[in-house]
Amino acid sequence: MGAYLARRVLVLVPLLFGVTAITFALLVLAPGNPVDFLISPEERGFTDVSVLRHQLGLDRPLPVQYVSMMAELTTGRLRSFSDRRPTIQLVGEALPTTLILTATSLAATVALAIPIAVVSAVRPYSGIDHAATLFSLLGISLPTFWLALGLIYIFTERLGVLPASGLRPVGSAGYAPAVIWPYLIMPTVVQALSILPVLVRYARSSLLDAFGQDYVRVARSKGLGERAVLVRHVGRNSLIPVLTVVALLLPFLLSGSVVVETIFALPGLGRLAVGAALARDYPTVLTTTTVAGVLVVLSNLGADLGYFYLDPRVRDG
Amino acid sequence: MASQLAGPAAERGRGAVPRTRRRGARHRFVRNPRAIAGAAIMAAFVVVAIAAPTLAPFQPDAPHLRAILHPPAWPYLLGTDNLGRDILSRVLVASRVSLAIGVLSMLVSIVLGILVGACAGFSAGAVDAVLMRVTDVVLAVPVFFLAVAFLALFGPSVPGLIWIIGLTAWPPTARLVRAEFLSLRGRDFVTAARATGASGGRIVVRHLLPNVVAVIVISATLRVGLAILTEAGLSFLGLGVQPPQPSWGNIIADGREYLATAWWVSLFPGLCVFLAVMGFNLVGDGLRDAFDPRLQV
Repeated sequence: MGAYLARRVLVLVPLLFGVTAITFALLVLAPGNPVDFLISPEERGFTDVSVLRHQLGLDRPLPVQYVSMMAELTTGRLRSFSDRRPTIQLVGEALPTTLILTATSLAATVALAIPIAVVSAVRPYSGIDHAATLFSLLGISLPTFWLALGLIYIFTERLGVLPASGLRPVGSAGYAPAVIWPYLIMPTVVQALSILPVLVRYARSSLLDAFGQDYVRVARSKGLGERAVLVRHVGRNSLIPVLTVVALLLPFLLSGSVVVETIFALPGLGRLAVGAALARDYPTVLTTTTVAGVLVVLSNLGADLGYFYLDPRVRDG
Repeated sequence: MASQLAGPAAERGRGAVPRTRRRGARHRFVRNPRAIAGAAIMAAFVVVAIAAPTLAPFQPDAPHLRAILHPPAWPYLLGTDNLGRDILSRVLVASRVSLAIGVLSMLVSIVLGILVGACAGFSAGAVDAVLMRVTDVVLAVPVFFLAVAFLALFGPSVPGLIWIIGLTAWPPTARLVRAEFLSLRGRDFVTAARATGASGGRIVVRHLLPNVVAVIVISATLRVGLAILTEAGLSFLGLGVQPPQPSWGNIIADGREYLATAWWVSLFPGLCVFLAVMGFNLVGDGLRDAFDPRLQV
């Protein structure tokens, strides 16, 4: 067990380095002086730019610069231009919203995708299967932000049944499910629909694959009912790989959260990034991008752990 | 998944898909109603984009002050926005920048994907391992966060959009090309080419690449659709194509505040994005089904 986990963690180290180095590369390659991107003019005061460059380590070799930027970022020395607080603190406040939305979206997607995939895989190339394929195609072609506006038009403007902005009523605080659930319905639907087609397609082919295996023929030939074959043999074997796809879909969900949080005015990481970008608040933008990349790496680790617990071949092998 | 593509021609050592197979693929594509529908949509958008200035009934940025937020009715067939600009004209003209960004960023990502995939798949070993780690990294970064950071630091511009969309979209193509190359590189026709003294570059260009044309074409078609979606999203957020230049994404954003009273401002450009992306996706799917439904593109 230790060896497996150690190996997985080791594989993630270059990935972690890579995703953080991309943000750093943007900073280095962007036209202009990196100091302008990191220290706000107000905070700079009358300090000479060259002094600041030295303080930030920007006059040293690139590897040192990278390390010092990550240090500035994680220790909170990097401050937001617009509200002067450490960027890592702003990100910390935005994170729960994004994580909650991601969790509800993933749950909704899996809850919808598995039944659809099972129905299509049990009768491949039937009417239902073709309908599911067509629906998938429509789904991946639909601009999520446009769908979101459509939902707002129907459920907020016309029917007035769902709130269109924010995470909770004005004046309240916290993340109590009883308070925030109406605010999460539309964002969750939009996010879930954006990745549903991919998951359905993958789960369907994974199920079809399993249906063709010898153990299925054995199970059927010993007289097991189709339901038992599906639940006990096909389902358990084919849904483990689906976990990998869920982990691979996380970057898409986070990408989607940028748009969805902006439309529904949810105070999450994506909205923070867009607001900061429009306000030219560079330190905040750089921090959100780095944290979003780190989240993906951590979720990959999560998927590995899931594999470990679900698949006896990995667990005991 | 690769072996079916190589076909008998590969065994003969020419490394090209035989004519009969191609004709078969064309036949299957033409007989597929969804693929034909997709091709028709795609062609319609290309024609509209080229002819946009002629087709547009008004100047896209001309304000018609007596017809502010005019509902769809003659002479404003798709209505007007909050500045009294004709939505039809704006949507028509916007198709140019959206398609251009879609196609050009596709070229960036396809060329990069082929380069990385071919290098990794042909050399295998350490080069392959390093390139695939890089691919994993790019695949792990949420595109919108990276694009937002890029456009904030470099300033939003059309070339910037093309680059950032292209530079983030290549990993799937690279993976596909690599997988095909890995399965082809041990085949007899490659060994034969090597035995006749062909250089590595010649083997890649003359013998391996012709076998992955189908995968590349399918991937390229799907990339255009995805790029159009990404561009529309970024323009909607205000980080893509900048006003006054109309793009589908920023027209949708214009209509956002007037959703309750003037739904037409956001509806029609969104419909364009949806149809255009669907056209490319239908053609991509149709090509896959025509060449080989088992391809995991």
